[in-house]
Amino acid sequence: MSDPYKVLNISPTATDDEVKHAYRELARKYHPDNYHDNPLADLAQEKMKEINEAYEQIQRQRKSGASASASRTSNGYGYGYSGTQSAGGSAELREVRLAINRGDISTAERLLNACSDRGAEWNFLMGVVCSRRGWLDDAQRYFETACRMDPTNEEYRGAMSMFASRRGYHPEGYRGFGTLSYGDDACMRLCAAWSCCILSGGRCCIC
Amino acid sequence: MFGYVRPAAPRLNEEERDRFHSVYCGLCHTLGRRYGFAARFVLNYDFTFLALLLSLGLPATCTCRRCPAHPVKGCGALDGSKALDIAADDSLVLVWWQLQDHIADHGFFGGIPYRIAALFLRRAYRKAAARVPAFDAAVRLHLDELAARERECCASLDAAAEPFAALLAELAAEDEDPVRQRILRQIFYHLGRWIYLVDAADDFSKDAKSKNYNPLRYRYGIDGDVLSEDAKRALGETLDASIRQMAGAYALLDAGGWTAVLDSIFYDSLYGIGKAVLDGVYHKPSRIRRGRKGTRYERSI
Repeated sequence: MSDPYKVLNISPTATDDEVKHAYRELARKYHPDNYHDNPLADLAQEKMKEINEAYEQIQRQRKSGASASASRTSNGYGYGYSGTQSAGGSAELREVRLAINRGDISTAERLLNACSDRGAEWNFLMGVVCSRRGWLDDAQRYFETACRMDPTNEEYRGAMSMFASRRGYHPEGYRGFGTLSYGDDACMRLCAAWSCCILSGGRCCIC
Repeated sequence: MFGYVRPAAPRLNEEERDRFHSVYCGLCHTLGRRYGFAARFVLNYDFTFLALLLSLGLPATCTCRRCPAHPVKGCGALDGSKALDIAADDSLVLVWWQLQDHIADHGFFGGIPYRIAALFLRRAYRKAAARVPAFDAAVRLHLDELAARERECCASLDAAAEPFAALLAELAAEDEDPVRQRILRQIFYHLGRWIYLVDAADDFSKDAKSKNYNPLRYRYGIDGDVLSEDAKRALGETLDASIRQMAGAYALLDAGGWTAVLDSIFYDSLYGIGKAVLDGVYHKPSRIRRGRKGTRYERSI
């Protein structure tokens, strides 16, 4: 196995707190929420596994004398999400769900386009397909339609709120950024300086 | 359409700024070496960013080189990277087809400047297309699709942005590592989507006056020549979604010494540029200055 300290990007002399901090930061970075309906979710999952293992190994090493049976720590973040739930109405839409869970997005889309019954579930599944393809504006619209057609459905509401609340990972010093809120925060006066640079083409502009 | 992406300079120290600049100079020299002097004028920051992403993890050296823009002291330029060659080939193909698009759009008199530019670049383009035939064919195909979306006045932002996003995703095809290729494809796809939408917002008033197709008009049902606040909010959210997809993919790459530069792009400047465009205060600098003495520097198109 590779050096666990290297995986967490810290030195072997790091304190317990530093180890924990590095682990938490990386766990935030590769958190499943950041890769929901994302074509790279499997890569993030591998990364997360590597980080969890490295953290556990360091803890085991440091707890000298403790039993070696330490299984997954209570702090470990895991990947619980695996495609859409298997519940579903018509046989056609069940087929679509299976295709999505296999990662076969083009088949799922073909099946959906051939479907004549375009109810709440159809809109929800179309939203998932769009989301996987990176069609994020359309995905949001399909999720909204699904929720409007069936406001009580937990799965659709969950997908919608997941979509709307997704903030993504930002490293320390870059927190709270968004296109619309950029420069609103007092601590982000950098923005003003940055615009000046762009406008004046001055020294601090990259050029 | 190109020239939006650049790092957030205040976040970088001098060494990191010089590092980014060495890719810019490196790409300029590569264009000159492979395609002659005129080809250097296709250089811009988006292509520099593409070259930087393609060169991650590949061996390269930085040497001090002189050029017409830095005749005396010279400046550090990235050298010897295969990625720069590919980026130079791809840049020329992209600029050529963009010029053809402008020529078709601007009628006889309006198209003259683009025709002249195309005249200067014709030989270079032929050479580039012979070197990257698959990319050239893909660009042609996707630009035809883009024209079809425009003709049918497509009201879906994603369907309208798809051809351009898919076109940029093709840039990753040359990467030999399958995992990195997947990651780069995702970054380039959303970079393409983001550039297309930012460009649509930037050109909104112009398109409204000249009655050209603009996806935002049909998506948000706007009749006037300014974006409504609601439209700006919805567009801002969908731009954020693309930036997050890029950042998520970037987190899976090993950026090595480029971490500070790329962090400042994926976690800061893309948001800032989007905001400046939505607020109508973004101006592409046509001439950029460098260094304490304000030496004139390469003109970017």
